[in-house]
Amino acid sequence: MSSEDFASRLQAAIARHVERPGTIHDLQRLTGGANKTTWSFDADVAGTRGQFILQLASPRADDEANPLAGVSPHLTADEDARLMIAAVKAGVPAPHVRAILKPDDALGPGYVTERVAGETLATRILRDGRFAQARAAMAKQCGAILAAIHRIPVAEVPFLMKLTPAQHVAAQRRIVEYLGFHSPALELGLKWAEDHAPRNARHTVVHGDFRAGNFIVGEDGIRCVLDWEIGQSGDPMQDLGWVCVKTWRFGGKQPVGGFGTREDLFAAYEKESGHSVDPAHVRFWEAYGSVRWAIGCLSMGTRGTEEVGIERCAIGRRVEEPLWDFLNLIEGRD
Amino acid sequence: MPQSTPKAAVLLEAAVKYLETELMPTLDGYHRFQTRVTVNVLNAVRRELELRGAQAEAERSRLAAILGHEGDVETLSIELAERIRAGAIAIDDPALRAHVRQSLADALAINNPKWLTR
Repeated sequence: MSSEDFASRLQAAIARHVERPGTIHDLQRLTGGANKTTWSFDADVAGTRGQFILQLASPRADDEANPLAGVSPHLTADEDARLMIAAVKAGVPAPHVRAILKPDDALGPGYVTERVAGETLATRILRDGRFAQARAAMAKQCGAILAAIHRIPVAEVPFLMKLTPAQHVAAQRRIVEYLGFHSPALELGLKWAEDHAPRNARHTVVHGDFRAGNFIVGEDGIRCVLDWEIGQSGDPMQDLGWVCVKTWRFGGKQPVGGFGTREDLFAAYEKESGHSVDPAHVRFWEAYGSVRWAIGCLSMGTRGTEEVGIERCAIGRRVEEPLWDFLNLIEGRD
Repeated sequence: MPQSTPKAAVLLEAAVKYLETELMPTLDGYHRFQTRVTVNVLNAVRRELELRGAQAEAERSRLAAILGHEGDVETLSIELAERIRAGAIAIDDPALRAHVRQSLADALAINNPKWLTR
């Protein structure tokens, strides 16, 4: 498809789903990941100029031939959009969905959301002086936002994969088996997770990738939570642990995303959710989160190298970083 | 066969020096980032050539002591991984923990030495 065709199809889609005339301006490709491509554009809608984001699923993202399809959570573009709609309804600062693309739009599966201004680059948010006030507020905001995410009625999003903590670990085990990777350090991490997976956890909607890097941040703090595509339902403490994983501190000293304290995160969560937080329970998800990220590095770094390029190859060499953090955490050396 | 010169480590150093000091300043955006990643990868290869031989021998000795028999490092490491998975060795076994800690530290000394002091 030529870029003119692409823009005119997008205009037709905006005119159909949002408002006429839908004339497109400043169409720019922002990122092209393995699973989706992100575009930024403005469009004339009902006399004003709106600012939008377009997400298109890559054709291979939902490939049924993928032997690991269905092993761990991955939403289709439609489901991703429906989860964000449910999140906004529950008071979560998630992207506002304006259009879910249909086959008639001839753009492939995807959706259009309103564009939110702000910074997503975690290293900049952690170091730039203009985010000082935001950083001081963000751990509490994370607690309040997570309480809202965990209030989304599971019945509104019945397509989410349901995983108990033990099933979550078992899914990661299957991925490692498929990759044929035999490492004592990784096996120690998986075995530890199998032995320590919480029982009798609550069961709620879980974001699954709630962390620095997936927040749009302004000087006032977190404005929007992005990347809902591995949304699932399971133990809500998973999200509280993941945001503390050392990898997602991006070199910052504080345990919550490099910017805040666990006390602030837990207190805000307890206040907004009415559920008490057991720090040891969250710590399981933080430690196991490092193991899960090691497996993420492994699977990204070992897909065919001619296809993935130097960046993906380099990620394969990062497996030991989270495993080192995991070992330090379970030995109380963090 | 006599070793060719310059040695591999010297070639890699020269390649990294060119990329970092001459090429990178002329680049921005995508290609600057990709070149940075390439420099990191070449530096890891240089450290691997320098360190891995001695590391592998020490790793092999530790594995043989834990497993109670000799073998090459890859085979022994797979066997230990299988034993952990099967629950045949306790994951809080001090010798196992010391081995895993040293193996991770060795790999980080090659792949990203800065991580050890974070």
